[in-house]
Amino acid sequence: MAFMRKQAVVEAVDVNTLTPEDTEKRITAGVKKYATNEANYAAADANTPYLGHIVGMGIESSNLADITMSIERQFLTKMTVKTPVSEGSAEFKLTAGELGKLRILDGQDALAATPGLSVKMLMDLGHMPKNDAYLEKVMSFAYVMATGDGWKMADALKKMAGKAEKLAGAERAEALANLKTLVAQAKDYDALLADAAKLAASKGKAYNNDKAGFDALTTELNLTLDKIKGVSAGGDAAALAKLRGEEAEIRTRLKMSAAKLRVSQEVSEAAGKRRAVEDAQVAKVRAALQEAVTLAEKLS
Amino acid sequence: MPLEAEEVKALRLQWALSRALVVPVSLVVAAVARLHFGYRLDDEIGRIRAEIWAKLDAHDGPVIWAANHLTLIDSFLVYWAVFPTNRLIEDRRIPWSTPEYTNYYKLGGPVQSALIRGLLYLCRCIPFLRGGEDAASETWRQKAFDKCAWVLREGGAVFVYPEAGRSRSGWLEPKRPKDFLGKLALEVPNTKFLCVYLRSDRQISTTAAPPRGDRLRLVADLIDGALPGETNARDISQRLFDRLAEMQREWWKGSDMARNCAGNDVVDLKGPLLRENFSDDLTEADESWLDRHLTRKELAYLDSLGPANLFRGFWRFFCAKEACHKALGRAVIVVPNGAFHEIEVDLFRRKATHIPTGLQLDIRFTDDDEDKLHCVAVLRGGWIGDETAEGDVLWSVAAVPSGTSPGAFVRDLALDMIAASNDEIETSSRLALTENSGLPGVLWRGEPQDWSLSLSHSGRYAAASFMIS
Repeated sequence: MAFMRKQAVVEAVDVNTLTPEDTEKRITAGVKKYATNEANYAAADANTPYLGHIVGMGIESSNLADITMSIERQFLTKMTVKTPVSEGSAEFKLTAGELGKLRILDGQDALAATPGLSVKMLMDLGHMPKNDAYLEKVMSFAYVMATGDGWKMADALKKMAGKAEKLAGAERAEALANLKTLVAQAKDYDALLADAAKLAASKGKAYNNDKAGFDALTTELNLTLDKIKGVSAGGDAAALAKLRGEEAEIRTRLKMSAAKLRVSQEVSEAAGKRRAVEDAQVAKVRAALQEAVTLAEKLS
Repeated sequence: MPLEAEEVKALRLQWALSRALVVPVSLVVAAVARLHFGYRLDDEIGRIRAEIWAKLDAHDGPVIWAANHLTLIDSFLVYWAVFPTNRLIEDRRIPWSTPEYTNYYKLGGPVQSALIRGLLYLCRCIPFLRGGEDAASETWRQKAFDKCAWVLREGGAVFVYPEAGRSRSGWLEPKRPKDFLGKLALEVPNTKFLCVYLRSDRQISTTAAPPRGDRLRLVADLIDGALPGETNARDISQRLFDRLAEMQREWWKGSDMARNCAGNDVVDLKGPLLRENFSDDLTEADESWLDRHLTRKELAYLDSLGPANLFRGFWRFFCAKEACHKALGRAVIVVPNGAFHEIEVDLFRRKATHIPTGLQLDIRFTDDDEDKLHCVAVLRGGWIGDETAEGDVLWSVAAVPSGTSPGAFVRDLALDMIAASNDEIETSSRLALTENSGLPGVLWRGEPQDWSLSLSHSGRYAAASFMIS
């Protein structure tokens, strides 16, 4: 099969022989062809998001899996032995064995939104040793998302101010009413970013939603198990098979729900812990928001 | 079909026993709802009850309770919300319920199962069997229908879910009425429908029970069953569904959640990066790459399309998943980037399922040609539309002029489309785009609009969609 991707063949390297910085550079280089924002890509560091056009590399969602597969192609690892997560489980994890192809399993890349977070993912999964000094420079997923929202908001406000400036009469009055709302939203978000505890509380809402979903699903599973218990006594094989199918389906849903819950829990917790790297990025976004607010307020 | 004398006798006995125990059973229902689940009733429950009971008092005939359906304990909750303790002596107003047999009648071991059956018996339940097309199932359904009709002819009340099951999208869709209640109303002409839309504040999807500690808000009304001269069951059902849909809108006016949840996605099929995991002739693809995106069911469907349709088939799946991802985001259901397996698309039925929550979405390809695909997805808030009827989603797909930023272009495209579709707005300068909460939205007259704006761009194309419901 002649895949176009073969035009760029890379030789895989044992990820354990590389420093985190070198790994990050290789990861960034591996996604170059997917980056549509050349300027942001050229200036990319550990904390540049793969997605998004304002501060991100502009990679499109259709190439999201290619980022992960690019990482897989570039590195070798000793974590190559498939081991069931628990006895009899169809799910498996990778444990230490012979050096071989790196594999990133379904859902393991959920938080790898930047090259730095991709390196963190490799460390978390045991493919390379944890390096605290490097991780100190990597912004958490929670803050990649939170600052990303801030950049989008500042950009929208600036653009709207630019448009409103050119209008006159009734149109201008309506544009200014909209601008006033945008300013209020930007100020609210600025205040949210200023207070890590408030930000954590707002992210906690998403966690609570996911937790409620997970709990509801657990209840559904228990109900289905009760139904199985009830039908088992009657010996209705067809009904039992149907219920077993339902049980398997709910267990799959529960597994995904648990994975989702882990992500929102991590985001919620990380939002409350702000380190120097997050402080610096938050300061930049807040400055952009405040600048946009000042610009907009001059018009009203 | 008239009931056998034995069946009538059994129903009369059930009625008499439940009448004797109605007070303790009702108190247990209220206590479990309040103390075990921690539910609270609508802040205006006194006014709502007064209004609905004034209408019930003015109607001497039988009543069919018809409510939306999201959880397995809805019947108890609706009963608790609508029926005040001081009315418990009004025996004929206490509704008979029609629970699904497979959900309730064989739960747990013999003792638990017997207790539940006993409770259901005292709660005036007529077990219903919704599934099965065989003769026995059909006979069961007919028998249940006849029992409901008998209760109504006796001047009583029955509680039937018009949707015939829990809504998988969390939304009552009036464009898909079921005939059962229309037929029942025709069978007993002086019947009225007691319409109830009850939902807890944080109820997003179909679950076993509403989230614990939630407030249950409701909207209720009493409307006519069969009108004089009316003979078509579908017309009656449609009227009922339309009224429930209006009440649904009223409920959502008081909700913090976004009512309209839709999304879109465009794919430029000529984009070179879309081809790199396919063979040069696009008839084969890297299997591990396909595995990362598609579930087993989806892979099987893709396989059935044949090699000639592999490329287009894959991107149709992808486009639908992305549109659903955005629609779910509106309902604060975040699908992590790259978690493609969380959404399973059925291209044949034009449905998608968010696997962790079980929520179902409707999908529709508005553009499907050699150059591009454009898909819209609707979770709730309105009708997606089809070949025969326009829906509540408007969209625009356009080529991005060269040298223009696709992100900026799609935003202008969206505002122009919205302005052009509304006589009151006229010009896009009256609108503004907001990015509050990380999702694109529209401001008009300084107010955020619940229009579920969705933006997408891919290669040479940009597309925007929004809901007008």
